[in-house]
Amino acid sequence: MSLDQASTWTPAERDELQHTSLVRHRLEEQFRDLEQQHEVASLGMWIFLATEVMFFGTLFVGLGVYTYMHHEAFVKASEKLNWLIGGTNTVVLLISSLMIVLAVHSARVGNQRHLVMFLALTALLGVCFLCLKGVEYYIDWRENLIPGWKFDAEEWIQRDHLRPEQVPQVQLFLLFYWTMTGLHALHVILGIGAVLAMALLARRGRFSPVYYSPVDVTALYWHFVDIVWIFLLPMLYLTGTHTGADFHF
Amino acid sequence: MSERLITPRSYIIVCVILVLLTFLTLSVSFVHLPGVWHIVAGLIIGLCKASLVVLFFMHALVSSRLTWIVIAVSGFWLGLLLVLTLCDYLTRGLVPFMPGH
Repeated sequence: MSLDQASTWTPAERDELQHTSLVRHRLEEQFRDLEQQHEVASLGMWIFLATEVMFFGTLFVGLGVYTYMHHEAFVKASEKLNWLIGGTNTVVLLISSLMIVLAVHSARVGNQRHLVMFLALTALLGVCFLCLKGVEYYIDWRENLIPGWKFDAEEWIQRDHLRPEQVPQVQLFLLFYWTMTGLHALHVILGIGAVLAMALLARRGRFSPVYYSPVDVTALYWHFVDIVWIFLLPMLYLTGTHTGADFHF
Repeated sequence: MSERLITPRSYIIVCVILVLLTFLTLSVSFVHLPGVWHIVAGLIIGLCKASLVVLFFMHALVSSRLTWIVIAVSGFWLGLLLVLTLCDYLTRGLVPFMPGH
C-alpha cells in the first residue's frame, strides 16, 4: 500500500493505515482516533478565528463609524492611498489561498511532493504581498501620509482644499490605515512562518492522508488573513470615486 | 475529516470568481456613486468573496455542524457589535436637542 495511491484507497485500507505504528504515534492519548483529533484541532482553530473576528471587528466598526461621521475628509484621505497596489495585493492573497487549499488537498490524497510545492508557493506569495506592501508604505512615506512623523497640514489645506478642522480627521483616517494594515501585515508574517514550518515538516514526511490536521489548521488561519484583506480593500482604498488621474506612483 | 471532497477543479473555479469579483469591486470605484454607496457596494462584494472563501477554501460546506455553530456564533457577535454601535451613531441628531429634558 503506497501513500502515492492514497486517493484510490478503500475505507478498509484507510482503517488498516490507522493501526500502523506510523499513524499511532501521531494520535494523542486523549483522542479516540485521528478523525476525532482532527475535528478537535480544526474546531480549536475556528474558535481562535472567532476571537480574531472580534479583534479586527472592533477596528472595522471604529473605521466605519468615523467614515460615516467625517465622510468628506476620509474620502479625500482614502484617495491618496495607492489602490493599484492594494488591488494587486488582493489578487496575490487570493491566489495564495488557492495554493494553500491545493496543499491541503495534496496532503489529503498523499502527494507529498505537491504538498511541499504548494506550501512553498503560498509562503512565496505571502512574501510577495509583504514586498508590495513595503513599496506602498515607501510611497506613503514619500507622499507625507504618516501622521505624527511625516505629515504636512498646510499641504492638505492648500492642495486638497480641506478646512483646518478637517486635518485631524485626515490624520485619524491615516491612523486607522497604518494600524489596520500593520496588524494585518503582522498576521501575514506569522502566517508565512507557520506555512514554512508546515513545509519543513512535510519535507520530513510527517504528514499522511490520515494525519494532516496541522496543514489544515494552518490553511484555516491563512484564509482568515485573506478575508481580513478582502474587507480592508473597500473600507480603506475604495471609499470615493476614482478617476484616471489616480494612477499615482 | 470529511469524506466528501471538494475537487481541485472547483477550487480553481472559485479562485477565478474571486479574482473577477476583485476586478469588479475595483471597477465600481471608478463609477460615480453618491455618499457612502461606494463603501456599501464594496462591502457587499466583499461579503460575497468572504462567503466563497469560507464555504469552499475553509471547507465550511463539508464541515461538521459544530463548526457551523462556531461560524454562526462569531457572525452573531460581530453582528451585535455592528448593529448596537451603529444604532447609536447613525441615529444621533434624529431627535432635536431639547434643553431641560
